[in-house]
Amino acid sequence: MNTVALFAGLKLRLITGNLRGDTARQVGFAFTLILAAGAAVGGFALISLLRLAPADLALAVVTLLYTALLVGWMIVPLMAFGLDDTLDPARLSLFPLRTGVLAVGMFTASATGVWPVATLVVTAGALVGLASGIGGVLVGLLSVLVHFALCLVASRLVTTALSGALRSRRGRDALAVAAIAVVLLFQLPNLLMNRGFGDPAGMLHDMAGALRWTPSGLAAHAIADGGLAGLGEVAVLAVVVLVVGWLWIKALGRALVTADSSTQAASVRRESGLTDRFLPDGLLAAVVSKELKYVRRDPRYRILWFAAVAVVLVMAFSFTGQGMSGAGLPIGLTAFCGMMIAIQLGNAYGIDGRSLWMNAVAFGSQRQFGLDLAGRHLANALIALPVLLLVAVASALFAGEPGAIGWALAAGAGVLGVGFGVGSVTSVLVPYTVPERMNAFTGAAPGQGGQAFGCALLAFTGVGVLSAPFAIAAAFGAVWVLAFAPLYGLAIEALGRALATKIGFVRMPELLEAVSRPT
Amino acid sequence: MSDAVRTTALFKRYGPQVAVAEVDLVVPAGSFAGLVGPNGAGKTTTLSMITGLLRPDGGEAHVDGHHVWRDPLQVKARIGVLPEGLRLFERLSGRELLLYNGRLRGIPKPEVERRADELLEVMDLTAAAGKLVVDYSTGMRKKIGLAAALLHNPSVLFLDEPFEGVDPVSANTLTEVLRRFTASGSTVIFSSHVMDLVERLCDWVSVMSGGHIVAQGPIDEVRAGRSLNQAFLDLVGGPQAATGEGLGWLGSAERR
Repeated sequence: MNTVALFAGLKLRLITGNLRGDTARQVGFAFTLILAAGAAVGGFALISLLRLAPADLALAVVTLLYTALLVGWMIVPLMAFGLDDTLDPARLSLFPLRTGVLAVGMFTASATGVWPVATLVVTAGALVGLASGIGGVLVGLLSVLVHFALCLVASRLVTTALSGALRSRRGRDALAVAAIAVVLLFQLPNLLMNRGFGDPAGMLHDMAGALRWTPSGLAAHAIADGGLAGLGEVAVLAVVVLVVGWLWIKALGRALVTADSSTQAASVRRESGLTDRFLPDGLLAAVVSKELKYVRRDPRYRILWFAAVAVVLVMAFSFTGQGMSGAGLPIGLTAFCGMMIAIQLGNAYGIDGRSLWMNAVAFGSQRQFGLDLAGRHLANALIALPVLLLVAVASALFAGEPGAIGWALAAGAGVLGVGFGVGSVTSVLVPYTVPERMNAFTGAAPGQGGQAFGCALLAFTGVGVLSAPFAIAAAFGAVWVLAFAPLYGLAIEALGRALATKIGFVRMPELLEAVSRPT
Repeated sequence: MSDAVRTTALFKRYGPQVAVAEVDLVVPAGSFAGLVGPNGAGKTTTLSMITGLLRPDGGEAHVDGHHVWRDPLQVKARIGVLPEGLRLFERLSGRELLLYNGRLRGIPKPEVERRADELLEVMDLTAAAGKLVVDYSTGMRKKIGLAAALLHNPSVLFLDEPFEGVDPVSANTLTEVLRRFTASGSTVIFSSHVMDLVERLCDWVSVMSGGHIVAQGPIDEVRAGRSLNQAFLDLVGGPQAATGEGLGWLGSAERR
């Protein structure tokens, strides 16, 4: 009991200490609190309402939800590794703690926090939604607690078991990109539903049936069954928790004594000098070739590009699912793709981050600053234009409107230019740090979530408003205006770049500070 | 002799905390200068403000007679910087980093390549030239950072803790390069709290404590017959050695 109180207190201290004297973090934490409280109350209410639904449907929904919670607990901290605010066992390895005490302590620390409490509340919602009679509630209560424990222990097992791989750079790079794939995987059922495969209720039952004997299925059924059968299911679940917990302790013991796997990296290829063949020697060529290398090598860029293309694919699915066809499909889709790509540069200096001083210490004039920005746009356009062409051709052929390829490409290029222009301004007005370890939930350093949100909002609004004339004209049949879209985009890009150069050069120290936040 | 660096009443505060309180730092041209002080004395903040990376709240800074904030073009062409924390473009290889840095400053590519290859050779990094900086060790990072700072042949070089975490072999390489650099009349200013090193390398020293310059001048003058370490402790007023009361339990005598 002593250990529990000690570790719970330690974790609380860590949380509050993290907030001290930093308003931005405090606001961020308040936001998290509201979000978690909302999720907890909303989740609890929704599950409670299942009481009104037919019993078998309610059971199926709870089974699915429990599974989602469990899988979420296993995957989310993994993708957020590094931002995970539970206690790092490595820090405790020098204290003379027996394994049992350490395990109880780590478990307590895992259970202390905003999200664990929210999870517990949501899980407990099933008591209202499913349980029948006093016996049912009592067995259900046990079931809820054990399933909650399973979430925590499984989560710790996964992170601990993979911590070795996560310590090497290549492992982290791979994981960062894998994270986005997982997010897409979660979208899959959504997409399928959108396409209207089968009847949703039947699908729900099928999935719940398949999950019947998984730990989450057992937990859900235990609450619904109550009585001895329920008790039996809880007992099985408890054994699972113990086994997973035992595995975790073993993994922990091994992780604590395994050295960091240092990377014996291979050399990168010498640059081909392709950009130098087309561009005059100087700052612009240097920036373009550096940016192109970064897009290839930095996992954060890989994530951004991967995500942009993936979102376009998802949109394509839902456009066609909604029966959209004709020339509007390729034009709309390519324009959307242009925006998604351009928005990546809405915080152009964020990924440079702490390295940006190298530019700052070399740039003594506005001209240099502007050339740097132009180089970034050029490098991205070099990749974006082929992608846009591909999207335009594929979607036009799919829609059976090969004549629209040209219009679609023009629209895409126009939006790309507008996006670059708007993005230049947001980059210098609301810059924020993009953490090295980007995860699927936040693309900003702790405490800068507001800036990231504001930046994205500003960028999307700006692109929307500035592209609106063309969008409206095209929607009313005047497709020919799109012929001027690339020129318009170029003009906005130049304008935005000029404005950003003026603001950014003066604000360089502030810019540097905003993108150099510890992550 | 003209001054390579001169600040007047340079001032910076973070909230209620005054980090740098009206510092008048002077470094004569051609000197190998050490900026020493305990942790939190304001060394990094001062260097950041002189190199134009941090906006001061008051005061002025001049490099080679040019105002840092009013004449950035002249100043930035003249300075080389190695900031603390080894922040570099990590996804470039060592050689690519040097090329990028040189071309950023408008040096023609063939010339940058020549200088980069020579620097890599001197820094003993030729074998690692093709590896990404993110996979470099601390010593290698300091060396590639110094190479990047030297590439455009600056007249004043600012180094923040260049020897921290560097192995003796790499440290020796660094000092050799820096000695050659100052022998030609260029200026080096580096911050450190390793007194032996400062004593061995520097001919000029500025001592900072609590955001103030507490002593400044040719190293023999500041030392005044003591070792630099003793002079430093006398100046910044370190706590008395643990000889008297307290800590009585520490040591083998009390352990059972």
